[in-house]
Amino acid sequence: MKAPIFQFNEQREELVQSVVDRVVAEARDPMLLLNDAAYHEIRRLESSHDRDELGRWRRIARSIGGLDASGAVELLRETVSYHARDVAGNFDRRVYTLASRVAPAGLSVLLSPHVVLERSILEVLQGEGLADRIWTSGPIERIRRLAEIGTLVYVPTHLSNLDSPVFAYALLSSRLPPVTYGAGKNLFTNPVLSFFMRNLGAYRVDRRLKHELYKQVLKTYSCMLIERGFHSLFFPGGTRSRSGGVERKLKLGLAGTGLEAFVRTRLPKRPVGAGAVSRQVFFVPATINYMLTLEAETLIDDHLKEAGKARYIIEDDESTRIGRITSLARKLMQMEGSCAVRFSDPVDCFGNVVDDEGRSYDRRGRRVDASTFVESIADGEVVMDAARDVQYTRELGDVVIDAYLRDTIAMPTHVVATAAFARLRAHARSSDDLFALVRRRDEVVVPYRELIAEIQSTQARLLELEKAEKIVLAPAVRGATAEELLRDAERALNGYHTSPVLRSRDSGVALLDPKVLLYYQNRLAAHGLAWAGGTSR
Amino acid sequence: MSQEHTKSKVAVIGGGAWGIALGTAAQNTGSDVLVYSRRPGHVDAHGLRVTSSIADATAHARLLVLAVPSEHVRGIAREIGGLIDGRHAIVHGVRGLVGDGSESDELVPISAVLREETPTRRIGALGGPVLTHELAAGAPSIIVVASRYPDVIHVVRDAFGAPSLRIYATDDLTGLEWASALTGILAVAVGFARGVGLGAGLVSAFVTRAVHEAARIGHAAGAEERTFFGLSGFGDLLAAIAEESRPEVRLGESVARGGSVDDAIAGAGQRIEAIELAPRVAAFAKKHHVSAPIFTTIAHGIFARRPAAELVQDLMLGPITGPA
Repeated sequence: MKAPIFQFNEQREELVQSVVDRVVAEARDPMLLLNDAAYHEIRRLESSHDRDELGRWRRIARSIGGLDASGAVELLRETVSYHARDVAGNFDRRVYTLASRVAPAGLSVLLSPHVVLERSILEVLQGEGLADRIWTSGPIERIRRLAEIGTLVYVPTHLSNLDSPVFAYALLSSRLPPVTYGAGKNLFTNPVLSFFMRNLGAYRVDRRLKHELYKQVLKTYSCMLIERGFHSLFFPGGTRSRSGGVERKLKLGLAGTGLEAFVRTRLPKRPVGAGAVSRQVFFVPATINYMLTLEAETLIDDHLKEAGKARYIIEDDESTRIGRITSLARKLMQMEGSCAVRFSDPVDCFGNVVDDEGRSYDRRGRRVDASTFVESIADGEVVMDAARDVQYTRELGDVVIDAYLRDTIAMPTHVVATAAFARLRAHARSSDDLFALVRRRDEVVVPYRELIAEIQSTQARLLELEKAEKIVLAPAVRGATAEELLRDAERALNGYHTSPVLRSRDSGVALLDPKVLLYYQNRLAAHGLAWAGGTSR
Repeated sequence: MSQEHTKSKVAVIGGGAWGIALGTAAQNTGSDVLVYSRRPGHVDAHGLRVTSSIADATAHARLLVLAVPSEHVRGIAREIGGLIDGRHAIVHGVRGLVGDGSESDELVPISAVLREETPTRRIGALGGPVLTHELAAGAPSIIVVASRYPDVIHVVRDAFGAPSLRIYATDDLTGLEWASALTGILAVAVGFARGVGLGAGLVSAFVTRAVHEAARIGHAAGAEERTFFGLSGFGDLLAAIAEESRPEVRLGESVARGGSVDDAIAGAGQRIEAIELAPRVAAFAKKHHVSAPIFTTIAHGIFARRPAAELVQDLMLGPITGPA
């Protein structure tokens, strides 16, 4: 397999240098950028314990006022270098080879770091087969072909911190080249996860840094990687879906650098960045679907906290608790198809579908040259135009959102949660709002036949939607009887989440944890299958 | 240092009065204009070059200005779509909304049809209180261009901007399109109100409430309400009221005086989109739970020939919602 990432380390220094050069060259007002950075950093660091860093920024802040133009550029260069080095990733072919040779098991290492501490890495890698549990589907042949003639930008849904390792293994098992991606700096605190991410091309994104200069560094780094043909992965939802629902709004911020790279490598006078190649850029939407989500409880809790106001970066959730990871790993191992990655049809930077040769087609199936979209209306030359590209990227976002819906894979837990929640609402008072509903822990017992009938009707509607190509059913949903679905879901949900979610009793099925049911039913809300009252923030 | 200004090139699709007025305005600024008409022999070209080849028109310019009746938009757009690519911009001056062709036949703006039928994304619309004959005569006028793509606004300004034509811009494309279409309907109602002899005070109150209502309906369609209170909505409607010869106004007046809708249409000598659009807008409002008593009265009152006194009474006695 050929991919530029295999030569990453040879390019690393020069890449970092090019990033610094471009950010400095394109800075319109170095003084403003420095002031903005110092202001945000000092504000952030004042409430942290990092006195050294705070001191450093205070010194910078004091010195800015006395700088002349060239001094400001010099300080800007220093600051940009500092951030660019912090962001830059690494790719170690030996780690990749190790991981790919033992591919079927590798994920379990990422999932359960404590095992590594107890046994040797190889022993673990050869022993387990979690990657067998990742079911991949979609136009994989075409994507493989496009990876040879262009640069791929994967934009999957985002539910869990496990998404990036799971996705990396889905690529591996589909014989698709590895990708580079930005991972939250907080994830690098886990030594094993950090070791793999760092050496498999991940770069570090520090979400605490809010200043413009840092954003420029990140964007430029990402853009230059794509310009050089590095296949990339972004989660355009911006953060893990709190509600469990499929993303309906995207922040294509960093993914937008895919289009920027496409434009830059086509400019008549190429600016900074010598290693760039003029290739097509293809976006590949994808969905990552879990029978069980590692962090379901923390995420839905955050979701329910006053709409939008209290959103925070979750530093401590199930993904930092080793016990939870192993218990999830064990659960996933027991179940067929418990995790599914589905690739959607690849599109160009403008949302046009592409064929195996990377040629673009409009909605009426007519060929169209992707380069023409970035040509000036006035004179037909390719031009950079950030405002234009923001709009193109927004429209691309709409295409990705549609793809998410079409390629969502409905799992038994989603179907049963949808049916159970529908019955919960039927048994609750009509005045019950979302919060009243989720407070009804262990209050409602649905007669068994009633729940089965609801599951059957949900399943029937799902089959119809699948026929219209508006969703995909996991094999475990398509062929199963309602009774089997209920059994599968019960088995999956109980024993992983902190308390049981559903329990069959003589009188029927008790709905013990409406919050978790809400989380799983939300996956089908945007399809009109499940209640939509609990997805909007 | 003087720099020679490259002439903008414009292709106008549609050789009706509106297309010719737009073409003339562009030509007056020094743009190189080619007009496409299916029947060039019938075009009063005002010195513009006219072609019957749509391919010649699309090859002539990357800026295409579409000025055809809304019922022809889809067909023409599909034809254009096969001839252009991503480097073209299409700006339309069509006052109307059309069905999206789906099962529910939801009303969509013209830009949605252009997006579907052509490869280009750089789409815009023209609207506001500009009058065809004033534009054609080169009288000082104001026009609004809407596009989400700033480069589209830029080329329109280059091609049309002149001391006698001031161009305001907005990125609320949906807003301008809905405002233009709904204003057409309100113009009929204004003509009707005048025809039945309502006092100036009541007509003004009616117009004000009607624009608010239009803004609510537009908002449900994804538009920004404030667009309706600016040039694209209020401005356009004031022009309609002042303009005795506007076909919609005359239609309203004629119906108020007891003439039949068919006669009024025949008298106008052109298709009036408001007639078909009014009931669809009323249905749209109902479907999206938007209170729209005025549009509903227009749709089911004026064109259904209910007595004028009854309609006025309906509106006067309806519940008072919203602030003054």
